[in-house]
Amino acid sequence: MMLDADGMNDPTKPPPSRSVVRAMIWATVPVLLLVQLLASAGVEVSSFWSQIRQLDARIARVAESRAGLIAEPLWKMRYDQVTGVLNEIMHDETIAAAAVYDDTGVVIARVVARPAVQALAEVSRPINYSNGNMAVQAGRIVIAYSYASLYMGAGGRLGLLLVVGLLGTLATVIAMRISANIFIGKPLAAMMSAIQRSKQDGRAYPADVKSSNELGQLAIAFNAMQHTTSGALDRLGHMASHDPLTGLPNRRTLSERLVALSRDAGSPDALIAFCFIDLDDFKGINDTFGHDAGDKFLVQISERLRGTVEAEDWVARLGGDEFVVIRPEVSNEAVARAFAQQLLAAISDTIMLHDKQVVPRASIGLAVRRAGDPELSHLPALADIALYHAKSKAPGTVAVLDEELQRDYRRRRDLELAIPTGFSEGQFEVWYQSQVDLVTQDVIGLEALIRWRHPEHGVIGPGEFLPLVERSGNNARLTRYVLTDACRALQRLAAAGMPQIRIAINLPPSELADHSLAAELRETCKRYAVAPSLLELEITEGSLINNIASASDTLRRLRRLGATIALDDFGTGYSSLAHLRRFPLDKVKIDKAFIREIPESAEDKAIVGVIASLAGTLGLTLVAEGIERVEQAQAMREMGVRLGQGFLYHKPQPLDAVLRGLAEAGGNGDRLLTDSPSIAPEFAA
Amino acid sequence: MSVVLRILLAMGMACGLCVPIGSAVASDAKHLNIVFVSPGKTGEVYWDMVAQTMQAAGRKLDAKVEVLTSERNYRTMQELGLGVVARADKPDFLILSNEESAAVPILEAAEAAGIKTLLLSNSLIGEDAKRLGPPRRVLKNWLGDITTDLTTAGARMANALIGAARNEKWQSPDGKIHLLAIGGDEITPASIARNAGLQLAIAAAPDVVLDRMLFANWTQSEAEQVAANYLGWAQRKGIRPAGIWAGNDPMALGALKAVAAAGIGPGEDIQVVGLNWSEDALREIKAGRLLLTDGGHFLLGGWSIVLLRDFADGCDFAATSSHVEVKTSAITRDNLTSVAALIATRAFDRIDFAQFRAKAGRCGQYDFSVEALISSLSPPGSAGE
Repeated sequence: MMLDADGMNDPTKPPPSRSVVRAMIWATVPVLLLVQLLASAGVEVSSFWSQIRQLDARIARVAESRAGLIAEPLWKMRYDQVTGVLNEIMHDETIAAAAVYDDTGVVIARVVARPAVQALAEVSRPINYSNGNMAVQAGRIVIAYSYASLYMGAGGRLGLLLVVGLLGTLATVIAMRISANIFIGKPLAAMMSAIQRSKQDGRAYPADVKSSNELGQLAIAFNAMQHTTSGALDRLGHMASHDPLTGLPNRRTLSERLVALSRDAGSPDALIAFCFIDLDDFKGINDTFGHDAGDKFLVQISERLRGTVEAEDWVARLGGDEFVVIRPEVSNEAVARAFAQQLLAAISDTIMLHDKQVVPRASIGLAVRRAGDPELSHLPALADIALYHAKSKAPGTVAVLDEELQRDYRRRRDLELAIPTGFSEGQFEVWYQSQVDLVTQDVIGLEALIRWRHPEHGVIGPGEFLPLVERSGNNARLTRYVLTDACRALQRLAAAGMPQIRIAINLPPSELADHSLAAELRETCKRYAVAPSLLELEITEGSLINNIASASDTLRRLRRLGATIALDDFGTGYSSLAHLRRFPLDKVKIDKAFIREIPESAEDKAIVGVIASLAGTLGLTLVAEGIERVEQAQAMREMGVRLGQGFLYHKPQPLDAVLRGLAEAGGNGDRLLTDSPSIAPEFAA
Repeated sequence: MSVVLRILLAMGMACGLCVPIGSAVASDAKHLNIVFVSPGKTGEVYWDMVAQTMQAAGRKLDAKVEVLTSERNYRTMQELGLGVVARADKPDFLILSNEESAAVPILEAAEAAGIKTLLLSNSLIGEDAKRLGPPRRVLKNWLGDITTDLTTAGARMANALIGAARNEKWQSPDGKIHLLAIGGDEITPASIARNAGLQLAIAAAPDVVLDRMLFANWTQSEAEQVAANYLGWAQRKGIRPAGIWAGNDPMALGALKAVAAAGIGPGEDIQVVGLNWSEDALREIKAGRLLLTDGGHFLLGGWSIVLLRDFADGCDFAATSSHVEVKTSAITRDNLTSVAALIATRAFDRIDFAQFRAKAGRCGQYDFSVEALISSLSPPGSAGE
């Protein structure tokens, strides 16, 4: 834009109007000059030829008249008279010489005026003598004459015509320049100036052209177009910078706004509060009430935000369910947080959608920075970190960006970027934790648990990096990785003489939707000569909820192969009893949260008891997770929970350690048994 | 009045005193007073000789002839003529020559004054002739005219050239005899007549070609020039010039000079003829260079006195014709001797003019031939008788 404008204003380039005039002059003047010269030359040449002809005719007449006068003296041989008559014609200055010949061809008289004249022409006429009795040719008269005076005259006139033509052309050029500048150049320059001014600030400047000719009409049309274009540009600009639904500024304007904030701030130490607002479960509202209702919902939210903020605040919709509110000056972080809370409260008022009351909920990431902060443009990203934190840790709250959040963010980002390297360099390791028969104390199975041995951050648990793996689209790869490792482990278990020990693998929700999973599992088992029935697949309730049909389909296929299905972390999520009935499950794993307070907590004991009773009824095997103490194992046994898993027995360890432990246990008898209370006979049955 | 004229007048008067004795004139004859206004100039051969023959005849025929000379000025001529008419003592006859038609006013004045007039050499022509008609009709006192038959003269001269050329076989390569004619002018009746005679002769001779009819204003030098031009032209044309016809003797003499200058022998390779009986011409004839000179018309002066003498004596020439035409004659080597001395000495008193008067009953019939002239001459030295 500026470059263009500079180019237009470049003083070394002639203004377009002048070049039009110049082009007109160049196009017309040479033609004009040529035509003028050709025409005048043509006229002069024709006049010259006509003068030549006239001279020829005149000399011929002279010759004839002289012939008449000479006839008698010639015939009568009065040669002196002949010479006399001939001499008389020498007064004619075009005549160079004349001669009279008699009928024998002899020169009777000769007069020479100018002996050496160029461009001589000659006319010869017979001299006829006649009287009453006779008519004879007495001789000839020959007159030599010169065109020199005609040439000189023609040359002089041509020169004059050339000068007149040049003067005329010069006058035309001047007249054309002046008139073209007045009638063309000025209107064009006026329009050009209007265009340049319009380009500079995008407003419609009319061209000041008064004339009523075509250019005047053009200027009127131009002004009308300027007006129209300017309106359209305004609308376009508004559309480009505003959200059409809510009328709020959009993401585009955000960066400009930040620049303006930095620029307009009273002092560089003024604090700017940046609230990044994300509506929780807006998708659910769209799904439930339809998109029109969703739009209406968004409009209401935007109106509430507008209604809440002060005049100096700035509200924008970044897209979807994301809003930004900026308060340009706050006294401290606490005030900013209060402001964010105020926003949350405003959002959380009930909204009527399709006669239903909906309570909107939102999370806010708040970042506060000094106006002079050179990284002010990063505010949206910083607020987003806080928002991420709020959404992941405490939806519906305000999270304020602090050093820890930023550290977390940076670690998350580092890990996420390192995932491909983790795969390629084999940094992911599968550890195994035993599942123990609480009665017999025998290890009946192992759960494969993924670990990331990161070169800098050390061993990282799945809770931290699995969401990152999922977000980076590497779930399937990781699952195949674990599956393969589990099959190898089964091989080694069989080789170690423990072929009855099974291995459980955690399936992320996305894998349940993958129809090829069953086929791949079969292939992998085949490759490692492992029976699929030695594999157990652990799923969560969440993965069942989101895709009921395909999940149950996949589960059935897996079961047909002989694998068993375990429902993990039961009790923390939906804890739907219907799920237990609807899906083809073999096992339910009670979340360790219920185990942790047992036997002290009567409520937990009651819950576990109910679950155990239900599982018993449905024919599902129960596994208690997180058993750390003997009392807990005892309590589980008493409540009829058959299997257990926890630090009481084994921590998750690499396979080698597990195998070593298993070998030792088999060697020195029932170490665990000695620690364990006896198993209730009724449960063992 | 010039001294010469005075002498002539004195001589005339002296002669007149002697005339009555033994004269052939009838005793009852009246003495005549005749005035001649000459258009010519003193020293001009022709008009001098006309006047001299007139006076010689007057001496023979009892007439006093007064000659007034116009000196070639027609205004002078008219003044002289009108002066004569206005005289108290009017003459019996006034002789005029109508050169350039200048005599007409005099003629008309004389008519009014009752003076009888005779035109000599040049009569009325053109408008004047139509207006005034023949003599004695409108102008009762205009008795008539006496002129020379120059047409016949011109033809005779041409025929002489043709005859000579034929004899000498001077034909050109084309088989024709080529002649040159040099006329005096193209307008005076005297010139026109002799030119016409020339043309008649040429027309009658199919073997003759008249190459040119040139005009030289009667003068020798111009004739010499044009003749020279002609000779050059003829040479270039491959023509053998056989003869040159000149309208008078001076032009013939000029032609002779040109011929000589061209290296041609006159009389040997070419013949030249002239007219006027001039002394120079006669000399050339004698030298064999000039073929002939026609003429003798200066004798018209004498013959006019003869006519008026007869008229005064009652024998009117108009009985035959009021127009008296006198034939001219050629002088060749043959008849040169008898006439040459007469002309050379101008001893016109040797001519017995009375012998030429008309016989009784034959008024107007005259023999003015050269033969008659020769026979009338008295021997030289006996002038006056």
